[in-house]
Amino acid sequence: MAKKIMVVDDEPDNRKTIKTILEKEGYVVITAVNGDDCLNKIKEGEKPDLILMDIMMPGTPVREIVPKLKNIKVVYLSVVRISEAEKEELLKSKNVIGFIQKPFDLDELIRNVKKFLG
Amino acid sequence: MVNLKKELESNKVLLLIVSGLEYNDRIVKVMKVLSGKSVAYVTLNKTNDSLKELFKKKKVDITNLVFVDAISKTFKKAPEQAESVFYCSSPGSLTELSLIITKFLKHDFDYIIFDSLTNLAPYQKRDIIIKFLSSLANKIKSSKTKAIFYALDVKDGKELIQQASVYMDNVINAEEINNSA
Repeated sequence: MAKKIMVVDDEPDNRKTIKTILEKEGYVVITAVNGDDCLNKIKEGEKPDLILMDIMMPGTPVREIVPKLKNIKVVYLSVVRISEAEKEELLKSKNVIGFIQKPFDLDELIRNVKKFLG
Repeated sequence: MVNLKKELESNKVLLLIVSGLEYNDRIVKVMKVLSGKSVAYVTLNKTNDSLKELFKKKKVDITNLVFVDAISKTFKKAPEQAESVFYCSSPGSLTELSLIITKFLKHDFDYIIFDSLTNLAPYQKRDIIIKFLSSLANKIKSSKTKAIFYALDVKDGKELIQQASVYMDNVINAEEINNSA
């Protein structure tokens, strides 16, 4: 059964591009426009295997959203430059398993998604 | 070619349009030109930690530098204030940003760097950003502080840049800058 990925990004172009690329790789891809939308979709019953979440979005800050996602694996997509120490700190969160710096190469994204989904 | 040092000295409010490719190099070069000056660095897209990391690596003197960090709190717990850092809750909190920046203007900092104008776009409507900018530019012009606003040369930012230009003393495309400056 195909793995399901949720792409959470406030930029429509980003959502569309990532969705298209990952669907070509055989994943089922759903999208959310921000953290609140992501939480709502989870509450409504969506069960993604992985969430790719932009770190900088309007609405509730991601630091408040991620703990509410409990056991769902989250990979941050970030255009925000953070220090190495901050990156390590973020990865200490139980369900945050990776960090991808934007702009990223699409092959790199696919490689990372495959790695994160095992 | 444009001489960055002269432009920084002669303009009160300057808009610097930077491409993504040369962004980090450019902020380092500007900081080196401002070496020794007191600078309040408002960051909306890089944490103060990452900027300190970058400046340390590039040997930029940060002794007289104070950060207003509007991004760290969006993804991690941060206090209101730490050594040389004031935290703002989000890049979209324009009232909060305005209050903090106004405080710095009262303390006669030599420069305020606003990095960057285009990073406000996901958080606020363009007319609200322009009102914020207009009010800020007026405050800066009546203070002793000079300001450098960065804007990223991105497709979605063109109209914002165009409207923002009205409130600037000069607008420079970073590609026009003499690289020795």
